[in-house]
Amino acid sequence: MSAIGAKPTAAGGMDPMASAIGVVILLVIIAATYMLAGSGLALMALIGVIVGGILVGFGVHFVPVGGAPAAMGQAPGIATGVAMLAAGAGLAGLFGGAWAAELGLVIAVITGGIGGGLMMAITCMFVNIIYVYGMGIPSASGKVAKDPITGDTQAEFKSQGTEGHGLPFISYVGGVIGGTLGGAGGTLIYVMLLDVYQAELPAMLDALPAQILPIAVSLAGIFAIGMFLVNAVLAAYNITGTIEGPHDPKFKRFPRAIVASAVASAVCGMVAIMIVAI
Amino acid sequence: MSVKVEVIEGGVPHNTILAAGLVASLVCIYVSYANTFLGAPWAAFFGGLAAVAALVWGSHTIKHLCSYGIGTGVPSAGMMAFGSGVIAMLFATKFGIMAPIIAVVLAAVIGAILGFIANNILNMRIPVMIMSLVEMAIIGALVLMGFSAQIAGTFDLMGLLSGSISILGLSLPSYQVSLIGGCLIATAFMLGGIAIQHPFNACLGPSWTQDRMLYLAAECGFLSMIPVAVMSMAIIPMGPALLSLIVALIGWYYTYAKYIELSRRDAYDWLDSKPIPELEGH
Repeated sequence: MSAIGAKPTAAGGMDPMASAIGVVILLVIIAATYMLAGSGLALMALIGVIVGGILVGFGVHFVPVGGAPAAMGQAPGIATGVAMLAAGAGLAGLFGGAWAAELGLVIAVITGGIGGGLMMAITCMFVNIIYVYGMGIPSASGKVAKDPITGDTQAEFKSQGTEGHGLPFISYVGGVIGGTLGGAGGTLIYVMLLDVYQAELPAMLDALPAQILPIAVSLAGIFAIGMFLVNAVLAAYNITGTIEGPHDPKFKRFPRAIVASAVASAVCGMVAIMIVAI
Repeated sequence: MSVKVEVIEGGVPHNTILAAGLVASLVCIYVSYANTFLGAPWAAFFGGLAAVAALVWGSHTIKHLCSYGIGTGVPSAGMMAFGSGVIAMLFATKFGIMAPIIAVVLAAVIGAILGFIANNILNMRIPVMIMSLVEMAIIGALVLMGFSAQIAGTFDLMGLLSGSISILGLSLPSYQVSLIGGCLIATAFMLGGIAIQHPFNACLGPSWTQDRMLYLAAECGFLSMIPVAVMSMAIIPMGPALLSLIVALIGWYYTYAKYIELSRRDAYDWLDSKPIPELEGH
């Protein structure tokens, strides 16, 4: 049996002891940032980064990830892995939000969300066009009897021996919601780090704010991409690879992903902020 | 608990590759520090060699981790490595000559926390998870630091942030013509990410052999080193950049030829297909 065929065995439950340790790590990091950098911009940025990371980690759970079985028409979802899909949606959102960064936090985050959602909407549409007209398979979910939104029955369209196929309506909606949350979260991380770097770098390098702008943008961008990928992969580990969308039973595992994303973003965010704050 | 589905039979043990990769990578990064004493950054190509050494180690770590069936595909492990590695590496560059050591320590701490999150909070319960994510974060940091040293000729934060631009013979300081200001680091990030995830993804299966995968990892590393050498022409003088390019091309050709040879050894049979045959007459 190859590594690809192996079924991961992550259980559905939450480990209370491990989660408690995670929350303690989170609080220690917030306290350490407060001690080192005070209650100013740096602490606000850390909170923003944590919220952004949670949005990314939560958003990934909505995206219908099908993996290799979906490519063969044996499971519903988009036929690729979480890392690729989340990177696509998140980076599309990040680029959208980065253009709007100078218009203020709220507009930038909303623009980022729209960018990510639009990317997923286009992806889902073309995935369905390829499934229906290219591979000749209807869209049917294997996890629910009726689509929770449209009420369409699924069983009579599902081929025997498969877990469903194509991209049912609920999965499409889930994909757009997931892309929106991921894009908004990625942009929030970017904008928060950009504010800190724009405020701190001129003094650190003894240069004018206009001169350090390329460095601030580049540093915030690469850190946002790094944190986005860490959060997306942790969420992928939580759903063990594939998920159909918000109606999938695996979706109920999201509480522990929120704890995980918060701790991971706090660790990475603190290091990213300390590069200028110390 | 997960069941291990693919055993490593024979070959060099993982701990040996770990030690060799870590030491070779650190030594090569420190050799590139000799640029400080030379007139021009002639030792910059050692940064690329450090990245290749770390990538060879990294492909074996991915094999070690993914043989447990993590369910998310092999590329996700590479993305995780560089996502956590870039953060540790950029912070460590603040500390001058101590940077590589601090990058290793800080990456290990970040990797350990991420491993704890994945293994305990997310209930993955994979025995090698924490150790593998520690290694992956260190590898990500070392590969990026190696490529940075190759592009900018230094691994000091000031050197990475600022460069110089020459206008009409005058050399002016500029923040835009630099590794970070020009965002060349994002390209290095993706070049390393592709190089680390490809070897095991391409070689996995019942016919997996260790030496073939490691040669493919070295080949991917040198292949990534070629565009990195081209990018370095923008920052460091042309001579050292061309030297990097030549070293990368030689290394790539040698490892590529070796990989093809090993692929033919492991294949059941192979047919040397010719280009489209030209039919005579019609």
